[in-house]
Amino acid sequence: MSITTTGNLGPLILQSLAPAMLYVPTPTMNYITVCDKVSMPANGGTTCRFMRPRALTPPTIQLGNSGIDPPAQIPQRDIIDAQMAFFGTGCILNEQVILQDQEGVLAWVSERLAVAMRQAEDLILRDYIVSAASEINAGGGSNGDNPTNLGVSDFSLVATTLDTNNAYKFMSGIEGMDRFGTGPVRSAYFMLTSTELQSDFDGLTGLGFLNQWNYPTNASALPSEYGSVYNIRILTSSEAPVARGASLKGNDVYYNTVLGKQAITHINQDGYSMNLIYRDPYYSGMLAQNATLAVKFAQAQAITQDTAIRNLLSTRLNNLGV
Amino acid sequence: MTEYSKMAKGSFTSTGATQIVNLPFAPDRVRITNYTAYTNFAVHGIPWGYWSSAMGQGFAAVGYVNTGPVLATGIVTSSGISTFQAGLSLQYGPTKQIVGITAANPAVVTVTAHGYSIGDTVIMQGLYQTASTGMPQIAGIPFTITAVTANTFTINWNASGSNYTALSGSPAGALVKKVLYPFLYLPEDNVVWSITTGTTTTVGTTMYHNFEIGQEIAFRIPNAWGTTQLNSLPNPITPGSPIYGYVTSITDNWTFVCSINSSAFTAFNVNQPVANVPGQTFPQVLSVGDVNSGGNVITATSPLYPSPLFPTSTNRVPTINGPAIRGAFVNNTSQGFIIGTGNAVYIGTPDTSSNLVGANADVIYWEAFLDDITMP
Repeated sequence: MSITTTGNLGPLILQSLAPAMLYVPTPTMNYITVCDKVSMPANGGTTCRFMRPRALTPPTIQLGNSGIDPPAQIPQRDIIDAQMAFFGTGCILNEQVILQDQEGVLAWVSERLAVAMRQAEDLILRDYIVSAASEINAGGGSNGDNPTNLGVSDFSLVATTLDTNNAYKFMSGIEGMDRFGTGPVRSAYFMLTSTELQSDFDGLTGLGFLNQWNYPTNASALPSEYGSVYNIRILTSSEAPVARGASLKGNDVYYNTVLGKQAITHINQDGYSMNLIYRDPYYSGMLAQNATLAVKFAQAQAITQDTAIRNLLSTRLNNLGV
Repeated sequence: MTEYSKMAKGSFTSTGATQIVNLPFAPDRVRITNYTAYTNFAVHGIPWGYWSSAMGQGFAAVGYVNTGPVLATGIVTSSGISTFQAGLSLQYGPTKQIVGITAANPAVVTVTAHGYSIGDTVIMQGLYQTASTGMPQIAGIPFTITAVTANTFTINWNASGSNYTALSGSPAGALVKKVLYPFLYLPEDNVVWSITTGTTTTVGTTMYHNFEIGQEIAFRIPNAWGTTQLNSLPNPITPGSPIYGYVTSITDNWTFVCSINSSAFTAFNVNQPVANVPGQTFPQVLSVGDVNSGGNVITATSPLYPSPLFPTSTNRVPTINGPAIRGAFVNNTSQGFIIGTGNAVYIGTPDTSSNLVGANADVIYWEAFLDDITMP
């Protein structure tokens, strides 16, 4: 036989690069989504100062007929300061990498740096909320832990707390429609929570939980929105804060942040929200061997309405997948 | 030296306690020189130390003055030099078995060779002596340790009430672990363990409060704890306007006085029954900003400069940020290295009178490096 096959005449080059890069698993970034956004001006100092007037006491006592004015009130204000901080990271790329690698190194490293920076913004806000916002331990669940797993009464309790504090809801409701299996959605606060609790939410179906796919229309639902319970719409992320093994019984404690409008504010300075910095190898050493690619940003954050935010701490009822 | 290596140097006067050095990087090698130990050549002295990341965290190679006294060599095998990168919260150290807790004020926790120091923050779990007794009331609360011995540490909690039962005999599931970076953003939400009512209100917290005078604060006191009149809402006089106080003086890292007149308020009740524990929320105090007249005036000579120091009253450490207004929310993330209080091990035997970070008032020079190239 004289058939030529790849066995005796194989390809000169055994590999080719697939046309598209594989995706990088990236958590949803919910904390930056729900923040108010404020920009400090250039040359505006180190600190962003917020001013919130205090309400005046309503004059509920009649003047009477004496002709004497009641005493004047002194207007007061609350001042909230947030100090700017700077962050950044980068890569040093030898020119041989840029010259010889086939896959467009500068392009994908730029993309990764940008995503890392956005994740940093979200993680900073997340940890700040964990540190600074007050907490309510869930008690409506059935697992006997402290905090317990989430029960529907916990959603009701935290929404009642925010309503009593006159917090503003983010979303107007969604009116019911004549569609099988759907139900109306109330005007709502947001809860930022972990994907690890989704099975617990599913367990509340019929008890108050409405999956996003059972909304009359999901046109106003956010990409990370899992569903709603009463006056709370639930956004999930794999990066939501979890204190591992920190409950009474040593179970994981989830920081389920429930908040209204203006509860937390994200501040940048003069649009300094992101700088992608590429420095050609020309600027390095006498042989100009290394390029640098970096991102830099400035950020401050503050809880601007402490009465409109609570961390509803809970444990989990159902086991995690692996 | 390659182009992108990082180098830093500095000095400090030792207090005899662990020293934290903030840097813009976490070094991979560190050199320290105890100038005082060079000057006053004496037994137990450690005039120099060297650490490389290849040694592992908490180690060091040192020069050591033996009983000769002769300058010899030794190593530090624990509490030596280590690096840290405090950037993400909710990280914990290993869990350790709790042997017992006293039902006393303050509560004292026994953990064999715990290795904790004053200022470390810990969190406990379990704490049942039987199914219905023990101290589960304090599980899940972060405590900054107030005093230590080798096998015990003290926490701010009044456990002398009738609802607390001392823990003993290493009950199963009674565990403690260290909260690695409890103060990344300041000031933080904090659990309240004591309230003394009066024309001003004195408040004790379980962690460092990190407040400055003038800090505006709010309370979240659940019904079971008594002093709910401190809560910022609802306000019975001015609907919708939160009731805030501000810090008027600071007693210590765990105690401060605030402006609220609580003379007529319900007494604080820390004596919570075990049966109430599942789902129980802890009393809290948190910072909310500044108030008209409570904060500090910003001038070039005011105490605003340099940057704020945390914790607020002793062993203060500056943040790596620039000048900040006191009462501001401050990002306290940081990285760098730590010089511990480890002993020199000389020919296999630790000299427990030696201390890597030196004695109180020793002058220490340090150099830190992060290299571009590391070869095996």
